[in-house]
Amino acid sequence: MNNAIIEARDVCFKYEGAAALAVDHVSLSVARGEFVAVLGRNGSGKSTFAKLLNALQLPTSGTLVVNGITPESDDDCYEVRKSCGMVFQNPDNQIVTTIVEEDCAFGLENLGTPPAEIRARVDEALHSVGMSEYAQASPSMLSGGQKQRVAVAGVLAMRPKIIVFDESTAMLDPIGRRDVFALARRLNIEEGITVVWITHFMEEAALADRLLVMDKGRVALEGTPREVFAQTERVLSLGLDVPEMMKLAHMLRERGLSLPEGLMTVNEMAVELCRRRTGAVAARPAPRAEGQAPAAEGRRVIDVRCLTHVYMPGTPFESKALDNVSLHVPEGEFIGIIGHTGSGKSTLISHLNGLERSESGVVFVNDIDLGAKDTDLIAIRHAVGLVFQYPEYQLFEETVAKDVAFGPSNLGLDADEIDRRVRKALAQVGLDYEEVAEKSPFELSGGQKRRVAIAGVLAMQPGILILDEPAAGLDPAGRRDMLDLIRGIHDSGVTVVMVSHSMDDVGRCCDRLFVLSRGRIAYTGTPGEVFLHDQRLHDIGLDVPECAKLARRLREAGFDMPEGIYRTEDVAEAILANLNAGSDDKC
Amino acid sequence: MLKNMTLGQYFPGESFIHKLDPRTKLLATVALIAIVFVAQGFAGFIAIAAFVLLAAASTGIHLKFLFRGLKPIMFIVIFTFVLNLFFQTGGNELVRLWVLRITDDGLRMAGFMAVRLILLVVCSQLLTLTTSPISLTDGLESLFRPLEVLHFPAHEIAMMMSIALRFIPTLMDEADKIMKAQKARGANFETGSILARAKAMVPLLVPLFVGAFRRAEELALAMDARCYRGGAGRTRMKQLKYGVNDLLAGLALLALLAMVIVLNIVHAF
Repeated sequence: MNNAIIEARDVCFKYEGAAALAVDHVSLSVARGEFVAVLGRNGSGKSTFAKLLNALQLPTSGTLVVNGITPESDDDCYEVRKSCGMVFQNPDNQIVTTIVEEDCAFGLENLGTPPAEIRARVDEALHSVGMSEYAQASPSMLSGGQKQRVAVAGVLAMRPKIIVFDESTAMLDPIGRRDVFALARRLNIEEGITVVWITHFMEEAALADRLLVMDKGRVALEGTPREVFAQTERVLSLGLDVPEMMKLAHMLRERGLSLPEGLMTVNEMAVELCRRRTGAVAARPAPRAEGQAPAAEGRRVIDVRCLTHVYMPGTPFESKALDNVSLHVPEGEFIGIIGHTGSGKSTLISHLNGLERSESGVVFVNDIDLGAKDTDLIAIRHAVGLVFQYPEYQLFEETVAKDVAFGPSNLGLDADEIDRRVRKALAQVGLDYEEVAEKSPFELSGGQKRRVAIAGVLAMQPGILILDEPAAGLDPAGRRDMLDLIRGIHDSGVTVVMVSHSMDDVGRCCDRLFVLSRGRIAYTGTPGEVFLHDQRLHDIGLDVPECAKLARRLREAGFDMPEGIYRTEDVAEAILANLNAGSDDKC
Repeated sequence: MLKNMTLGQYFPGESFIHKLDPRTKLLATVALIAIVFVAQGFAGFIAIAAFVLLAAASTGIHLKFLFRGLKPIMFIVIFTFVLNLFFQTGGNELVRLWVLRITDDGLRMAGFMAVRLILLVVCSQLLTLTTSPISLTDGLESLFRPLEVLHFPAHEIAMMMSIALRFIPTLMDEADKIMKAQKARGANFETGSILARAKAMVPLLVPLFVGAFRRAEELALAMDARCYRGGAGRTRMKQLKYGVNDLLAGLALLALLAMVIVLNIVHAF
């Protein structure tokens, strides 16, 4: 295979002191100009493999040839790093300097390139990623997506043959994610750069030329996205997910509809289903979906009226984070708040337990006015539990038990009660008290840490739980578990408010949604009602679930699809009803 | 929202002084401080003050920012003034308060010290107001580079300073987030005895440090991935270059020095 730019033969890697191999006899090759996506649950060896490609680590055994070089000496390593650039996950932690263009120049400066050439290449790279106008900006003023584009520019300036993206979109919002993926795809097609794209997002993987699924350090599955995702059961068992349309196809097949393999996009599915429908049924006006919100609304435990919040008023940095926001949360409901980064979500939830106060507007929690001077904020924080984004970064105690006990001890409870609550909270997040209580929270895995952090809030036994992006950065299986866990908490009688930018997640869990855009409430209603605005939602950087899109497509094609359906099961049901009604032979 | 604030006190601008090479500004500041100590009479100080004020006015920065830096050291200025006033006992007695006597020598000395201190601070203010932290770092690196022969780690120090500047806003932002999260768990950072408040900082500081180490590790990896291997063999995209303006600035300083010396001699009778 002379066309291979990456060639691995029996590559193994073991971290010092580790028992198992992190990369276990991996043999594969990547062709010049290919766009390969690498999938796998956390700890499957994806990131370690990426570091081997970049010669940040050297194989313990086996041979790895990257762009014709087998890294052995230090000089080889620098040659490999020159031809194989790497973009990391956290946009903040890979930018070295305080000015965008200087960061972009960093790699070339390290290589000792003449200044005039650096200048030219930096300008070219910034232009190529569309960041020229930010050349003099400070990275801390940029959005996550923009920072990642700067990171790509820094790599591009070195004129690499390969770029490895190690979960580079994991911490971005949907707009940033779309942006960075499109950029990688464009560089691949237009500049012929080989791309290795490591991700947890199946919709990104579906657009790659080829997929590699890793598990326990080995390559478990390999092939085109269609080939790999067609093995739905196997993919799910590896802790991953399949694109929504494949799931739907799987469901339809189980119900007796014979569909061809490899339908992956909404378009393909819609075309196939329309072809299937024999004997056109006259389009009837579609009935509205039955209201999913409970008919009798509970007591309003949170009531926000006309809330406006301005940051740093009177300075040049003045910005309106919230603009006349009104919303209410009925007791016992599961509420979703969606919006892109900077839409005001975080500011809003900070108001709900008095962390932020505003001059304009009122916030009531359990009928108590948070703006009043004599409000006991400790009692409010007791009633409203707030779990911030990446809560595991707030762990600090020596042991898990002590960390979870932090909240209850601040409430001044006695030792027995604290111990009882710690045990209960850990059980609620699915952790075994005996196993983890005396461990240091820093020894646990990422997912476990997050559970401990959530337990720390649950131990205060709040009647209302607010979570900001609880599933961010988790792999698909971790994401499913986390959402199940939150649903469990909701079922135990807690009112839940979940902030997210994943329409799939809120669609799956929530009774009612509030869509925030630029500090204002753009839409409210049941998920089904909100998803009807798919075009407008797309414009403000949000996407509706694929099944909602399919339902619309089919309705427009004359299918009788109830308005506002979006769950895979409901859509499958409606499709079957249509096909069975429209044809005599039952597929 | 802390991240939206400008770092240090740099005031972006396009004036003559803004555009000087940072090395020129650093050296000029040192030179000005030296000249302040060369001056032996009020005439000399007036000349220096006029020079500094003229320079400051040319930058377009409001004078109140120039003097804002004086506030924290006002106590020291007053303290040295009073100390000199009462303990410099030579010369003719002007006033006598019980055991304390104020002499003309004492008054002169006290005045000198106060004026010198104020001029020192104003000069360095002018430097930091017109030079971005990053170009200050570049200037320092370039000035100290010759010392690398003596194994002075000029590049490493400059790199550390620049990374610190890069991460201060990020860490401030993170501190803000952690503080909110712990407050949401009932932590109290505002009230209580000093000891209680110091203890209350633990839930803030531990995650902040852990986070800083995590970031440092990731950053080191990212720097490695971009072929960083220390200062040796490294080039810079932006080369510092002295221009005509830098020469003019140097000449202006020389003129000031000459004037101060002349005034010293004239004043000494």
